Amino acid sequence: MLLGAAARMEEKGAITGRQRDQFPVGMRVLAVDDDPVCLKVLETLLRRCQYHVTTTNQAITALKLLRENRDMFDLVISDVHMPDMDGFKLLELVGLEMDLPVIMLSVNGETKSVMKGITHGACDYLLKPVRVEELRNIWQHVVRRKFSKRERSNLDIYKDFNKLPSTDPCHSHNQIIAGACDQSGRISKKRKEMHSDEEDDGEENDFQESDEPSAAKKPRVVWSIELHRKFVAAVNQLGIDKAVPKRILELMNVEKLTRENVASHLQKYRLYLKRLSAVASQQASIVAAFGGRDPSFLHMGAFEGLQSYQPFAPCAALSSFSPHGLLGRTSAATFGVPELAPAMTVQTATNNGIISHCAGDANKFQLSGLQENQQANLGQGSTTSLGLPQLQQKWIQQETNDLSAFFSGSALANTLSGALQRVTSSPLPPQELLESAQTKVSAQPPITMPSVSSELVERTVGVSANLQDSSISQQGALPINDGFTADKLQLHDPFDSTGGTRFSVNMLVCPSGSITASSNTKGGASSCSTVLLAPDTGRHPNYLQFGVAGNSRHDMNEIKQDHLHQGLSTGSFNHNFGACMTEQTNPNVPYLMPQMKPNTMASEDKLKQRNIYDLGIPKLHGGFSSSSCNFDGLLNSMIKAEKDDLSFTDNDLGCDFFPLGACI
Amino acid sequence: MDYSNLRRQAASMKKSLFDQGYLDEQFCQVEDLQDEASPNFAEEVVTLFFKDSAKLISNVEQALEKYPKDFNRWDAYMQQLKGSCSSIGASRMKSECMSFRDYCGQGNVEGCMRSFQKVKREHGALRQKLEAYFQLLRQAGQLVLLELPPGPGCKN
Repeated sequence: MLLGAAARMEEKGAITGRQRDQFPVGMRVLAVDDDPVCLKVLETLLRRCQYHVTTTNQAITALKLLRENRDMFDLVISDVHMPDMDGFKLLELVGLEMDLPVIMLSVNGETKSVMKGITHGACDYLLKPVRVEELRNIWQHVVRRKFSKRERSNLDIYKDFNKLPSTDPCHSHNQIIAGACDQSGRISKKRKEMHSDEEDDGEENDFQESDEPSAAKKPRVVWSIELHRKFVAAVNQLGIDKAVPKRILELMNVEKLTRENVASHLQKYRLYLKRLSAVASQQASIVAAFGGRDPSFLHMGAFEGLQSYQPFAPCAALSSFSPHGLLGRTSAATFGVPELAPAMTVQTATNNGIISHCAGDANKFQLSGLQENQQANLGQGSTTSLGLPQLQQKWIQQETNDLSAFFSGSALANTLSGALQRVTSSPLPPQELLESAQTKVSAQPPITMPSVSSELVERTVGVSANLQDSSISQQGALPINDGFTADKLQLHDPFDSTGGTRFSVNMLVCPSGSITASSNTKGGASSCSTVLLAPDTGRHPNYLQFGVAGNSRHDMNEIKQDHLHQGLSTGSFNHNFGACMTEQTNPNVPYLMPQMKPNTMASEDKLKQRNIYDLGIPKLHGGFSSSSCNFDGLLNSMIKAEKDDLSFTDNDLGCDFFPLGACI
Repeated sequence: MDYSNLRRQAASMKKSLFDQGYLDEQFCQVEDLQDEASPNFAEEVVTLFFKDSAKLISNVEQALEKYPKDFNRWDAYMQQLKGSCSSIGASRMKSECMSFRDYCGQGNVEGCMRSFQKVKREHGALRQKLEAYFQLLRQAGQLVLLELPPGPGCKN
């Protein structure tokens, strides 16, 4: 059988089969560079290293080749500056869709470019002219990736791997990993950090038998939104501490899903939550660093992010778990959008419910967080531009573009547009905001805009990077900032090759303040899974771009923190989340909204609200103005809830969400 | 024919190209890539370079005219040219490209124009010299550079 398998491999691998047995000799490299001179030299250098080289001068062709057969290559080397597609974008897409190591090449060795490459997921960044010595060692990236994936795969897979007798571990790795990794979603921790985690594009669930010995490729389990939602629901139901794969599997009751699939997914999920909390704490620190400007900034971020992210929020959220989900997610996103999803629900699965909820929370937080009159009205859309507006606008635009670009590659573009449209048509008040935002967003060419995207991506990356790094302890899941804030980040996240970040970002962005509050450490607090990785993370240079607004945000955050500490988050969250949780199954933003509405905000609160918006809401908010009333209502309800519930300390996070955080 | 003489001439020409800074270490790498499978690799690459760079230069030229003060665009085009130069080791040309990009960064139109002229000059000069060099090699019956001992400037 081994022989048979080997024979098949040989056939399949054709010429390179034998070479691959002698890895790194025969390693299959795809080289992409629009400059024919560089490409020719590179090709020859690579051949000199005994790699098997395929070249193309167009990124689009490269993508096509890769998509046609993911297994055709082991490594991709790409130039950064290409006319048809930005190298960073290609990098992200490759990392996202194919999970191949990508090395960037550029004449530009500036730190920020290199940083961008890394944050987009490049496993190396070489300067032109490339020397042969540098190329001799690039095979290490292939091995490293496989190795880390292997470690991450579940035991069964590992066993399979070991079972396969092959003289060349790398070679067999190819096969096993292909199958095994698929099974575990091919998500390595590292990758998770860097790319969007899950795989492939929006397939429906493909289940595989995890017990099959793998010599051939197994169909992967694709963690679609639906599936993930069930997963999250099961985890929440069990309580994050008690959530064991076996029980989760039972609760999920999905045919053909194995315990191993669940186990590996759970592992990733936990990492994800951990990352969120890390980001949250980081944010908190950033907020602290900035001092209090206005919460509006936060809001702004929320808004903006929301706007653009709306459709993506779910995606983003989900993305970490299932990259392909992005595609699938888009549809989920649509749910989110109408939902008002300011909250990039962490869970993602429950986009709808969560989203709406988050939005509410966001509002709430804003109100509470803002010290005084800072609360920008979410709804008010008082767009007194803070200066951020432009930035945010740009973000949104960028996001859109980015998203468009991102999706354009796949069939997501349509979905995205659809999502955008849906948002527009959503009846919920916040929706109005969204609508306006969306419209704005939609207005932008949803179709690929590589150039813009790259810029966006850049930003995103920056953000994502930050998020990633930030060790947010808060879990601030709730998108305090109207869910809109931080969205920017969130959106970016998905695109960011650093999938992990992406995910967290999307989490409802809670003003850092809120996040801080929640960072009460307790799992519950953090469970707000929505990590608001607001652009507050001044750490990353890109974040800084977000402007000074960041400062204000931070201040806001601080302020918010205080408020948040007041249990706002927890209390309200519980309240809201509870609602959300139940909502999980269907986008019930409307459901949630009405709940909020009845609460009337105190005039003071309103004032606060208004302030917030005034402070930071960028033009976007202007767009929101129409729906402001609704938001206000939402905010009011949030605030009220908050007031009712002031029990932040204890994290009576009845909300199921919290358990998620507790996972960490 | 006195190949050894021609060889010596070629070697000395190459040395002077290095000494004058027209070429750098990267050129050695390119020449090193020649082997039995691609005996004329260096010349092929150089030919390709001049063809491609002529196009890039004309792109820059057009951009300078059509898009006044569009430094980003100019810079982008020049960056491409710089990449090519660095791939074959065209050292002086590369320096001029970098200086052009610096002027772009400063928003200095005058500087850009001047620098661009220099880029063109270097391009022309290098082309002339390399053509002569390869011509000589051919005459020396040594396009297969395997026979030519590594020239000065190459570290082998």
